[in-house]
Amino acid sequence: MEFLRRALNPWGEDVPIGVSWDLIWAAVIIGAVFVVVHALMVPKKVATGEIDESEAKGLPEKLQRHTVGARGFHWSMSATMFALLITAFFPVIGIQFPWVTIHWIAGVLLILTVIYHIYHVFAKQDFWTMWIDRRDVEEGKLGLKAALGQSDAERPRAGKYPVDQKMFHHVAMIATLGAVVTGILMMFRIDNFLLPMNTYMFSDATWGWIYVIHGVCGIGLIFLVIAHVYFAIRPEKRWMTWSMINGWIDRDRYLENHDPARWTVDGSSQRAEAEGD
Amino acid sequence: MAVIRDMIAPFELYQPAGVDDAVRLMDQYGDEGWVLAGGLDTFDWFKDRIKRPAAVIDLAAVDEIRGIAEGGDGGLDIGAMTSLTAVAEHADVQSRYPLLAEAAGLVATPQIRNQGTLGGNIVQDTRCWYYRSGWPCYRAGGNICYASTRRAMNREHCIMGADRCVAVNPSDTAPALVALDAEMVVASSSGERTYAAADFFIGPDIDIERMTVLEPGDLLTRIVLPAPREGARWYFEKIRDRKSWDFSLVTVASMLQVQGGVIQDARVVVNSIAPYPVRMGAVEAAIRGREPSEETGQMAGEIAVEGARALRHNDYKIALTRNLVKRSIRDAA
Amino acid sequence: MAERTIGTDISPPDLHAKITGRARYAEDFHAEGMAFAKLLLSPMPHARVRSVDTSRAEAMEGVLGILRASELPRPEQGTREGALSDEPLYEGAPILAVAAVDETTAAAAVEAIRVDLEPLPFVLDPLDSLREGGPNARTDGNVPGEDGPTSLKWPDSVFDEAGPDRLPMGEPTAEWAIGDVDAAFAEADVIVEETIVHQSVTHHPMEPRSCMAYWQNGKLFLHGSTQSTERTRGPVAAMAGIDVEDVVMIGEYCGGGFGSKIAGVPIMAVPAVLSRKIGRPVMLRITRYEENYIGRARAGFQGWAKIGFRSDGRMTALDLYLVQDSGAYGASDFFTAGTVATASYQPENMRFRGVPVYTNTPPRSAQRAPGGAQIVAMLEPVVDKAARELGVDRLEIRKVNAPGHDGWLGPNQGPFTSAYVREALDLGGELFEWEGRSQLSGRREGTRVTGVGMGLSPFTAGSNGRDGLLVIRPDGKLHVHQGIGNLGTHSIADTARAASDVLDLDWDDVVVVWGDTSKHLPFSTVQAGSQTTHAHTRANHAAGEAMVGLLQELAALELGGSATDYRVADGRVFRAGNRAAGLSFAQAAERAIARGGKFSGGEIPEDLHDVTKGAVAGLAGEGLIAAAKDNYGQPGAVFTWVATFAQVELDVETGEVEIVDLASATDCGTVIHPRSLAAQTNGGVFQGIGMAKSQRWVFDPQWGIPFTKRFYTARPPGILDVPLSPRFAAVNEPDPHTPVGAKGIGEPPVGAGEAAYACAVADAMGGLCLCRTPLTSDMILAELEGRPRPYGLLDTHV
Repeated sequence: MEFLRRALNPWGEDVPIGVSWDLIWAAVIIGAVFVVVHALMVPKKVATGEIDESEAKGLPEKLQRHTVGARGFHWSMSATMFALLITAFFPVIGIQFPWVTIHWIAGVLLILTVIYHIYHVFAKQDFWTMWIDRRDVEEGKLGLKAALGQSDAERPRAGKYPVDQKMFHHVAMIATLGAVVTGILMMFRIDNFLLPMNTYMFSDATWGWIYVIHGVCGIGLIFLVIAHVYFAIRPEKRWMTWSMINGWIDRDRYLENHDPARWTVDGSSQRAEAEGD
Repeated sequence: MAVIRDMIAPFELYQPAGVDDAVRLMDQYGDEGWVLAGGLDTFDWFKDRIKRPAAVIDLAAVDEIRGIAEGGDGGLDIGAMTSLTAVAEHADVQSRYPLLAEAAGLVATPQIRNQGTLGGNIVQDTRCWYYRSGWPCYRAGGNICYASTRRAMNREHCIMGADRCVAVNPSDTAPALVALDAEMVVASSSGERTYAAADFFIGPDIDIERMTVLEPGDLLTRIVLPAPREGARWYFEKIRDRKSWDFSLVTVASMLQVQGGVIQDARVVVNSIAPYPVRMGAVEAAIRGREPSEETGQMAGEIAVEGARALRHNDYKIALTRNLVKRSIRDAA
Repeated sequence: MAERTIGTDISPPDLHAKITGRARYAEDFHAEGMAFAKLLLSPMPHARVRSVDTSRAEAMEGVLGILRASELPRPEQGTREGALSDEPLYEGAPILAVAAVDETTAAAAVEAIRVDLEPLPFVLDPLDSLREGGPNARTDGNVPGEDGPTSLKWPDSVFDEAGPDRLPMGEPTAEWAIGDVDAAFAEADVIVEETIVHQSVTHHPMEPRSCMAYWQNGKLFLHGSTQSTERTRGPVAAMAGIDVEDVVMIGEYCGGGFGSKIAGVPIMAVPAVLSRKIGRPVMLRITRYEENYIGRARAGFQGWAKIGFRSDGRMTALDLYLVQDSGAYGASDFFTAGTVATASYQPENMRFRGVPVYTNTPPRSAQRAPGGAQIVAMLEPVVDKAARELGVDRLEIRKVNAPGHDGWLGPNQGPFTSAYVREALDLGGELFEWEGRSQLSGRREGTRVTGVGMGLSPFTAGSNGRDGLLVIRPDGKLHVHQGIGNLGTHSIADTARAASDVLDLDWDDVVVVWGDTSKHLPFSTVQAGSQTTHAHTRANHAAGEAMVGLLQELAALELGGSATDYRVADGRVFRAGNRAAGLSFAQAAERAIARGGKFSGGEIPEDLHDVTKGAVAGLAGEGLIAAAKDNYGQPGAVFTWVATFAQVELDVETGEVEIVDLASATDCGTVIHPRSLAAQTNGGVFQGIGMAKSQRWVFDPQWGIPFTKRFYTARPPGILDVPLSPRFAAVNEPDPHTPVGAKGIGEPPVGAGEAAYACAVADAMGGLCLCRTPLTSDMILAELEGRPRPYGLLDTHV
């Protein structure tokens, strides 16, 4: 299997023109294998209900985990992401329809969504919530051991976001930003009303690498979406999935999974609002 | 890697004697196979070694799809391997479908019409010279349209229907067949399918690497013309730089049903302005119930070019399309 | 008395072979053990070869050898083109050649070679190169200097002042003047001024320049497509680095040259040297694709003209500026153009300025009236514009300015040998019925508007000082040895008629010997500049007279009396008044062989060229041999003029132009072969119309690569694009300074046809000159519809 699609440019120079489409199937297969292996190896750990009642004092029944804005971002991003992936890859695998306009408009919407998200993170939220610190690394190690049954160690409770969510976020962020930045550049090569055509803005080899990066990020997102959807529907994570729909989690889930020292929820909606997602 | 042009590379040649054998071979070779009819499109590709199939399936001996026969319902059934000369000179085609006879007779040169087939003329690839030069454009699986760049030489290219690729459909008979509401019969190992001529051609928005619905393993076998309509007027005009051996800059084909001096029904088709023959639906709707006059033609021409967008060097195609559509209504006979 | 053959139609000796397909062209030859070569062409318009990896090719079975540029004898001058180059100056320039046992293997080997190229700056438009900071096509400069190429840049102010629609005119590299144009403009009644573009066009001969070479005992045998057989030996010898005596050039037929194969072609070096290298015959078949690159092209101009007239139509001032697209290796068309303009209009005052600029486009060479066709097609519509402003008839304005026998040519204002230009204009005007036709101007029927126009085109048509060589063999036939090539113009036969007429010999008793330098061919003109008919009717006339003298002398020796007692006619030399007392040519040949000496090549006239002396020596003892140099003298420039008239119909809804009628008249001296003359004239007219109407040479500006590499994309005109029966007439007045009276015809019709078409189209557009070639229907329609012009006024390669 080739990694790149290559071609001779008009001057006979060998240049990349994109990523090999075989990688689409590689991403799908790897995603499927991951899901199957994970499903078989990791037992479903449903809530134990063992919580420290002392910690529950003063906390409301429902604690806000995701603001309306945060949820709006998530679902808007997922909608555009699905639109992008479908318009990108279905025609390649033989399901043909006029996809380019939908694709770039979805891409523009994704960009707007991402801009909103960045603004929101810096202006309204604590940027560091998503930062991976030493405790997250420790949490991750223990969690992994626990998940694999290699240790008796309990997985410690997380901050607002478990480390695996943080890791997913970062990988998805890199893939998305990679696709977005290259996608913006690629809009100079198609007819749209936002950017002027400037096909020869870069050398063809540079353009080739831009297409490669776009393709790698896009195909990477296929895998990430598969993994993301898989975790979202796993029984022990569904409370999190629900929180992305209705915005809140119940107190027990909070105390069971989150370390109040690392994610302080004082019960006031104002506090939760400020914290955001 | 150095490039050699103008010299055909070796290939395996198959000469099936029937459609079934041909289709089986096409299935067997898939993307590695190439169907050869008259060779006028094929050999350009082969000579430049840009298309280098492992196997060539030559239809010359497939007699069952050569010739013109009476079709059902008073129509005509033309085998895809029928030569353009045979189409242009056939008495029934001339008397009942003069539009098609005219279109076939204006293809290239007498030699090319003797060798070229109706099927080949319909399914031929675009003549965009960027693509034909073997450059890695979208249509060739690449990531660029060289012809739509700011400095590109695109006098012959699209004014509508483009989607990244701005190449045009070069066929002379295609617009005539769309105007005549012909049907295309396609054989494959999974059986026979039929398409209306208008649906047979696809744009780059659907598939940037194809010009028709045909996929590997599909073979255009017959073209079925419906019974000619009484009192139909027709018009065909091909504008080109030379009077022989030249592809069209703009071609118009129209069929008008005129009764009592009023257009009852119309099919107006323009080719070489888009990646597919453009059926001018809005024009047809607008001229129904009107007289085929200069004024109606003028209006039709204006409607025809609504939304048309010129590239750097092909603005004239907007005026030319407008004028030809006007003529095709005003001067239809 | 034998019938005089000059002025009658004959079937040339090569006709049957051509029509039946028996004629063998270079590509049709085969030699024992022959290998095939294929070229590796540059994919970039300008590059330097960093390295070449031929290992995979050399490892292939059947590959016999690879030829690199460094193995060819070095060109003497910096700008001279080699057959191969490690610094290709245009896309498609051959870099190396591979020989293999068959062509398939050679092609596969070329594909297996990896060439590492360093892209260098390139330029397609001369004006881009003249800008400050603009790229030079060659690493050593962009214009020719005294010691090779040098760099010329014009300040930005030159371009700014000109704007987009007027030719920028900075410092020229060539300049001359007659009188004072500025003063003349000050007094002119009408002044017209235009910026005009004439395209570069490739030659597209039907036969590409294929060639086959082999060596025997140190002699190079080369089968090639050439316009001039004998004169090709020298260049081929230089290409192979050998003495001219060691070259045998074989080329009986040339499938079209149009100036692109005048004295052989550079690519001939490849089979010649490669054959020597691998020790086997080598065939290099040039494809249509390759021909597009190495097949030569006409140099295009971006020009400007300002012309002043007196109220009677007399041209008082012509100010001309030409920027030439010289291709990668240069061309001299622009300078010729200035000279030819004087032969059209005899301007009372004139200034000529020009700059030839190298570009990274295929090499230029002469193309049928190089410089002449361009300038005629550029200026004639401007003259029409002035005629309209002056209210002078367009035929009349040309007659007013046309040279008479006292006319002059070029900056030195030298004389012509003859100039029946007004006669030709009158004849053409009558033939075309100009008076009535010009009234049709602007007539509209439906969507079609009529336009009429005419073009007057002069070009060189002769030279002198070549040799003729005749042998009467014991078969009784007159063998006319011709060193000229067989370009398809019939001159190979027609010039032999000068000898047969002097000898009063039936044409059936004449054998033309040509096409193979081992057949002992005399020194000849290069077959270019329309010289052949003039130069070789003279040379063969001189040889004919020498033959008459030898026959008379021989007869006197054999039969008694003095030489002056004898006459020559009908294949006999006989005593005046007594036909029986004499010798047949067969007998004369036998006696000549027996006597030897001057009768049979034993004594050779001193003034003959060395080539002819060698040919005579080679023939010595084979018959009665007469060789003579043309010493008739030539007191002026030999020029032919063609006037072509065209009627067109322009469809205002499509921009399409149909040529309804064409008529041409020429002053080319005595008509030798009416049918051939008509074919040459009409063919040239069509070729010119093609340049004006449909032919193109389109490049992508970003990559510097041409697209019009095939006939169907380059669009030379077809037979349906011209009227079925163009008409033709000749003044048929002999040039008084040449014995047969004939002048050449090959070149001037091109500009006449091109100009007539351009003027007729402008006429149909109400006198609007778009002043560019090609003038395609899209440009016309855009103009008629008031839409944006598809190209800038100065754009080239459109």
